[in-house]
Amino acid sequence: MLIRRISTARWWHKKKNWIFLGTFLFLVFIRISKGSIYKDFYYFISKPFWPGQFQQEIILESINQESLIKLNLLKKDNIRLREILNLQESSKSDAISAAVISRKTGSWWRQIILNKGSRDGVEIGSTVIGPGGLLGRVKSTSLFTSSVTLLTSPESKIGVWVDRIQINGLLIGLADEYPSLILYSRDADIKVGDFVSSSPASTLLPANIPIGIVKSVDKPFQTKKTAKILLLAKPHVIDWVKILKVKI
Amino acid sequence: MGKNFKGKNLMNNFFVKNIPMILFIFIPIIFLWHPSWLGFFGFQPYWPLLWLLPWSIINGSINGLLFGLFMGLILDSVTLDSNFTQIPGLVLCGVWFGTIKIHSGILVGHFRYGLICSIGSFLCGTLYFLQILFKNFSDSTFLLFIPSVQNILAEVFLTGLFAPLMCSQLLRIFKFFNYKNLINYSRK
Repeated sequence: MLIRRISTARWWHKKKNWIFLGTFLFLVFIRISKGSIYKDFYYFISKPFWPGQFQQEIILESINQESLIKLNLLKKDNIRLREILNLQESSKSDAISAAVISRKTGSWWRQIILNKGSRDGVEIGSTVIGPGGLLGRVKSTSLFTSSVTLLTSPESKIGVWVDRIQINGLLIGLADEYPSLILYSRDADIKVGDFVSSSPASTLLPANIPIGIVKSVDKPFQTKKTAKILLLAKPHVIDWVKILKVKI
Repeated sequence: MGKNFKGKNLMNNFFVKNIPMILFIFIPIIFLWHPSWLGFFGFQPYWPLLWLLPWSIINGSINGLLFGLFMGLILDSVTLDSNFTQIPGLVLCGVWFGTIKIHSGILVGHFRYGLICSIGSFLCGTLYFLQILFKNFSDSTFLLFIPSVQNILAEVFLTGLFAPLMCSQLLRIFKFFNYKNLINYSRK
């Protein structure tokens, strides 16, 4: 006598398995869409807690300091730019103001989420500045939000300019408070207190945005010299930022 | 009035059945929210483990593995680092947590959750750190990343601190609602 297998024993006959499969596919969709559903959901539920206007005075003071440093840099840069061709252009009319609605400034994940997204014209790769200077670049956008990789993130690598010794370097985020500046010259005369700004040769960022000050210089390793940078813009306290569109 | 009562009852039933899932959805939200008053110096406990531990203890290793994977997928999508993933750590922790039995001693149980979550957080942090080192190995800049081990240590400490408080409460909630579900099913 043949014993027939009961049909309910098959895995595809169980409703639970289909629910699991459906959930899994849904989560894969979320993963592929870079969590845009989640971020938009977060946008709506965090709306009542967005930062208010009370920071205006602190921000204006920081902007004044930033402008003074910037003015000095621009004077020097103007002379240089008369001789060489300008690689980047950026005007204030391209700036979009946005509030920080989520910030992760500790641990491995260093990012902020802003309340302006692709609906407001934010594009991937746009530069984000705050009181003090450069914060990072837009890595992904959803309809209502945009996520910014901070300079301290292990994913961040940007070209920078040390003005005093007129040399380009690479700023790498290390998942701690102080990113490292790598100069590909063993004899570079970098000193504590040197000012670091975005590189005029960069194709990713507008030139001369203040970034930070050299905090400490490490011993030369092979053909490189590294230094720790104290960032001027503090992402853990900034509530309002500006997004600059980059014209390439 | 009867219609209203029925609707309210349905709503209650929905929450009773799905409270662990509702809490599951809120883990990425708290991960994004990153409340500064719940951490020290910008560091936060590793929130997913605080949910995963009670869930896996009650539902076993297979469920732990699946929900570790689900949690990893969501968290990877809300964080930007497309090169690194949290899935391996969470899956391993889910499987391991599923093999753990509930301790009868209340006080010992509380501190045990702290220790288990600390070890889990260390595992997840180390796996993440190794991915960063591996990715930067070719650039020979990987040595610069060594000081970021502090992230692992800070997370281990904070997760261990929060776990006795949160895991015990979540375990109680999950057990209570599991029990309530069972009663509902048996009535049907």
